[in-house]
Amino acid sequence: MLENYFRQYGLAAIFLLVAFLVPVGMLAGSWVFSRLGVRPAKPSPVKDAPYECGMEPIGGPWNRFNFRYYAYALLFVIFGVEVVFLYPWAVRFIQMELFALIEMAIFILVLAAAWAYAWRKGDLEWR
Amino acid sequence: MSSYDLYLISPYLAVAGTGLLVVLLDLVFRRKGLLAGVALAGLALGLLLTAVQARDSLGLGGGSGLPNLAIGPGLLAASLAVDRFALFFNVLVLAAAGIVILASVDYLERMRGNHGEFLALLLFSATGMMLLSAAAELITIYIALELTTLPLAALAALLMDRNSSEAGLKYLIVGAISSALMLYGMALLFGFAGTTSVEGIAAALLAPAQQPVPFGSYAVLAAVALLLAGFGFKIAAVPFQMWVPDVYQGAPAPVAAFLSVASKAAGFAVLLRVFYTGFGDFDWHWGALAAGLAAASMTVGNLVAMSQTNIRRLLGYSTIAHAGYILIGVAAVAGTSASQASPGSLTTAGPSSVLFYLAAYVAANLTAFVAVIAISSRIASDRISDYAGLVQRSPFLAAALALALAALIGIPPTSLFIAKLYVFSAAVHSGLAWLALVGVINSVVSAYYYIKVIRVMFLEPPAAQERIHISPTVWAALALVVAATLWMGIAPAAMLGVAEGAVRALSGVAR
Amino acid sequence: MVSEPLVWAILLLPVLSFLIISLVIRPFLNRIPALSGWLLIGCLLAALALSLMTLWAAAGHHVPEFRQHAWLSVGSATIAFGLLVDPLTAVMLVVVTAVSLLVQVYSQGYMKGDPSYSRYYAYMSLFTAAMLGLLLASNIVQLYMFWELVGLASYLLIGFWHHRPAAAAAAKKAFIMTRIGDVGFLIAILYLFFQSDKFAAAGLNAFHIPDIWQAAQPLAAGGAILGGAALTWVVLGIFAGAAGKSAQFPLHAWLPDAMEGPTPVSALIHAATMVAAGVFLVARFYPLFLASSAALTVVALIGAFTAFLAATMGLVMNDIKRVLAYSTVSQLGYMMAALGMGAYSAALFHLFTHAFFKALLFLAAGSVNHAVDTFNMTYMGGLRRHMPWTYVLTIIGGLSLVGIIPLAGFWSKDEILSGVWGSSELVAPWVGRLTFLLLAVSVLLTAFYTLRLVILTFHGQFRGGGEKEREEAGVVAPAPVSAHAADSHHSAAQPAGHGGGHHLAESPMVMLLPMLVLGVGTVAAGYVANPQWVHSLLGIPGHWITEFFHLGLEEALSGREAHLAVPEFSLGMAAASTLIALAGLALAAALYRGRGAETRKDPLERGGPVYVLLNRRYLVDVLYENVLTGRVFYRAVAGALDWLDRNLVDGLVNLTGLVFRNAGRPLGLLQTGQVQFYAVALTLGSLLVLLGYLVLR
Repeated sequence: MLENYFRQYGLAAIFLLVAFLVPVGMLAGSWVFSRLGVRPAKPSPVKDAPYECGMEPIGGPWNRFNFRYYAYALLFVIFGVEVVFLYPWAVRFIQMELFALIEMAIFILVLAAAWAYAWRKGDLEWR
Repeated sequence: MSSYDLYLISPYLAVAGTGLLVVLLDLVFRRKGLLAGVALAGLALGLLLTAVQARDSLGLGGGSGLPNLAIGPGLLAASLAVDRFALFFNVLVLAAAGIVILASVDYLERMRGNHGEFLALLLFSATGMMLLSAAAELITIYIALELTTLPLAALAALLMDRNSSEAGLKYLIVGAISSALMLYGMALLFGFAGTTSVEGIAAALLAPAQQPVPFGSYAVLAAVALLLAGFGFKIAAVPFQMWVPDVYQGAPAPVAAFLSVASKAAGFAVLLRVFYTGFGDFDWHWGALAAGLAAASMTVGNLVAMSQTNIRRLLGYSTIAHAGYILIGVAAVAGTSASQASPGSLTTAGPSSVLFYLAAYVAANLTAFVAVIAISSRIASDRISDYAGLVQRSPFLAAALALALAALIGIPPTSLFIAKLYVFSAAVHSGLAWLALVGVINSVVSAYYYIKVIRVMFLEPPAAQERIHISPTVWAALALVVAATLWMGIAPAAMLGVAEGAVRALSGVAR
Repeated sequence: MVSEPLVWAILLLPVLSFLIISLVIRPFLNRIPALSGWLLIGCLLAALALSLMTLWAAAGHHVPEFRQHAWLSVGSATIAFGLLVDPLTAVMLVVVTAVSLLVQVYSQGYMKGDPSYSRYYAYMSLFTAAMLGLLLASNIVQLYMFWELVGLASYLLIGFWHHRPAAAAAAKKAFIMTRIGDVGFLIAILYLFFQSDKFAAAGLNAFHIPDIWQAAQPLAAGGAILGGAALTWVVLGIFAGAAGKSAQFPLHAWLPDAMEGPTPVSALIHAATMVAAGVFLVARFYPLFLASSAALTVVALIGAFTAFLAATMGLVMNDIKRVLAYSTVSQLGYMMAALGMGAYSAALFHLFTHAFFKALLFLAAGSVNHAVDTFNMTYMGGLRRHMPWTYVLTIIGGLSLVGIIPLAGFWSKDEILSGVWGSSELVAPWVGRLTFLLLAVSVLLTAFYTLRLVILTFHGQFRGGGEKEREEAGVVAPAPVSAHAADSHHSAAQPAGHGGGHHLAESPMVMLLPMLVLGVGTVAAGYVANPQWVHSLLGIPGHWITEFFHLGLEEALSGREAHLAVPEFSLGMAAASTLIALAGLALAAALYRGRGAETRKDPLERGGPVYVLLNRRYLVDVLYENVLTGRVFYRAVAGALDWLDRNLVDGLVNLTGLVFRNAGRPLGLLQTGQVQFYAVALTLGSLLVLLGYLVLR
């Protein structure tokens, strides 16, 4: 039983090996080719720039985001979670009757409280 | 969901609902004093509902009483255990939260109007702690743990200055990592047992044909170690203690107070429940794990505390050391000696000494913290050297703080003297005399830095002459915790009886 | 009839009085201090009534079962608080509440006008409560706590006038000397604690007093739990505590000095009750003593020797209170000697009668002091004309002390002598003979110093009183420098008209009344409590109190025969002791009668070196204070310890501190403040836990 157990990890080990070999092999190949003179070394700013899906990069890779974005992200989560929970509830609503309605009302009220809090404290305004 | 389920979770609902109410009232009303009153009323309601549950559990209202109220009509039996063990911790957490709120009235001035946030987050966190002590299933444990940790991280950052933000961030990050480790342990347990219920895990462990390794499987052993990381973070045991001093120093003093007592108590509650109910019937070798952590925590906590110059850092290291003393009681699983104990009939001495120690520690450490809160909200400093001559500026505060420090050393007639006596004697009766010896030596060593503070307060000339004035609510908080500290030190029998009754609710313990 | 709450109330009433006086009256109502006195008197009246009910119940075997209230359990030893009412406790309760009540009434007159009047009554309440708690304790730890509390109250009351150096020193001396004995008692308790597993195996509790009695009895299966040499040492430890409290040789030196306290305190604490606590303690654990012949021998010899030694010192004292103090030590020696010889009930009977007549004598001394403003008898004389009541009462108390029929002291002392004479097989015969001889000689000495006291105080010509004493000491009146002159209110709150002098007149009624009551008790107590020759007197059966005590002892021995005969009254012994006493009286009369008014020289001074030796109290105090404390302790022991402390211990402590502090520092360095490091430490930590467990398992 234990052997079977570890055999499954053996598959994972093979994956790990491949995942290790491929990038190392690419880097090593590149180095070997440059040594052999197959790959010429001609650096330029465009070549050194990070690859962003073909768009021109704006600013450095280490720039900071405004903290306010996080507040928006959190608010987004409030409503995202609400929808995630609302969908299965809507599907099963017929079977669960009045009780489910009350429970969902409480759930939405709690979220609404959070939203009211954010509004009242001025987190919805961009200052 | 039936009304019986609502009755079961009514204490938690009351406290969490009050938290929500505080948030909303904060948006509407300008008067901040009202909010603390509402929060206290919510805690009192929680206490009342807990008392009702205790009455039903003991059968005082008629009937024969139920050891675990959750086993009955309703959906919650699988995830919650509303037994005397959980109710004990409900009372402890609610009392601690109430004292912290009473004591922080003056301190809140420094919070730039964030009264509502402070109170609401405190109540949410308290709800999490209460749930944690009742959780009987891994997912519930995890949710309760997060409900405890996340508000505390926000609370730690509530002063919004540099130190406070740092404290909040550190608590959040370290907490997240520890709960990730714990979650991994839970996954291993679930993979092994096929259930997340703690009782189900116990049943799976008892099934025959296990391998001849500790806990029957390396997976379970690894899970135990990983779970310890999660619980160790909450109880601040070495080596999961790194966050403690920074957070205690940076966080608002009332938050540090709450963190040091309630959070620790809830951590020990879940630790005891998982280990006794989950593994108590099967194997008690985790006692050795706890013993190792205990020795390390006491020694590291006390040694590093010696060179501290900040009272809150000092109390932070002291709380690490006390986690070690309490872990001695956790380690004292076996009846007479580790080799003779039979699983399923573990002695009550160890866990009941843990519960008594926690109650005593809550009282004594809150005494220290309430005094520190009162002082730091007036002199705005936590340096020990600024406590010089405190006895002339406020004799009662100095006396209360001295009493608390004496209690933390373990000097009679204070609560922790009896508590240490019980913990050490439980260890000796479990064949862990060496651990008791380490504990005694550590107690002696710890006297050095506690007495240093007392000496500064009483013998050195005061730095400033003006007297320290304190509002009546803080006096009330101080009087309550001082009275509790002395009461448990002079007449411990009642609290010992309660602790003893509470641990009998855990399966694995001899009934 | 008597329920548990009522018995608890006996203890709690004085506690209540203490709390009210110290928390309410002293801070808020100090302008009307009389309140505190009347409060305590009221509480004691109620306590006395309850005590009488308890005694009645105990005599009729109606004492209910008392519950034990668990306080603390360590391992197999459980400390529970509860009540223990046996004949010994029942009688002592009545004695303590009655004497305390009378003394408090007396104090209303004696302490009038003292600025610390409320404090006095607060201490008195504390003392009475502690004493009653000591009597009622069913647990040896509980008993020890009250035992120490009694010692504390005694310390506070001896040093009541703490502004006087002599009083402060005496208080300290009393506290330290009794503490020396208490160490023995504590060691005995600790030994019991370490035996708690053995006790538990037999179903007993190592701290519960009846269980301790049980433990000294041979069990069905093999020997006793406590036995052999261990038992002897435990018993001697207990006796050390008893000897300290009851001022037995060699711990007797504190009691005469304790007379620095107010006279009512001396009457209550240092004559009637607290000093009797040592005798009570031995009686309480008497089943243990009976199991050890060696311990009984020690008790008998120390008791008899103390009785003799103290009586000789009483011969030459000029201070009236010190004569009485030595007399107290001597009488306590009688009781101890009787206990050592197995005359259990006789000793307790004497304790009972002694409480009355000795309290009476002290109150009379206080009354005399009230008039002449000194305790020095060489400045008294001729007072019988001015103070007839005090005179008569002193005669009654004195003759009772001497043992003249039909006063109380006669009956009890006679029983002791008979008991010692007809000694049982408990100790070697020579011990019995020596004990009897010492006690018989002490009878003679007692008679002598008693009559000397009466003559010097009440007969002859008045010799000037406190005023004259201060004048001769070269001090300008009215500043009271003499230690004893400051006793009573004359110095503390000087009424303008008195001018520091004496006013030769009888004391006020409030002081005389308690003395009269005690006088009646002194006349009647012996015969009424213990009727002899007759079958019953007024419904009280013959030998009632001695049989009662004996019954209690047999119950403690769980029905086993005590092998102690209650001594029958013997006419020959009565005649002999009376003759000895009369001889002593005659001798004193011959020496002291008819001396001139100004003769201050004591005829005993002709004894030369013997007189000096007695007057200097056998140099025991010099030995203790100068040689033992001053030279041996301070210079040698303390000096050596000081050197060790400075060089060795401090060095060691500094080294330990250095090691630990420097061990903490590198550990502290790990606290980098970097949250990344914390995360790594946390993760590695759990791995470490796992590895450590696997490796060390």
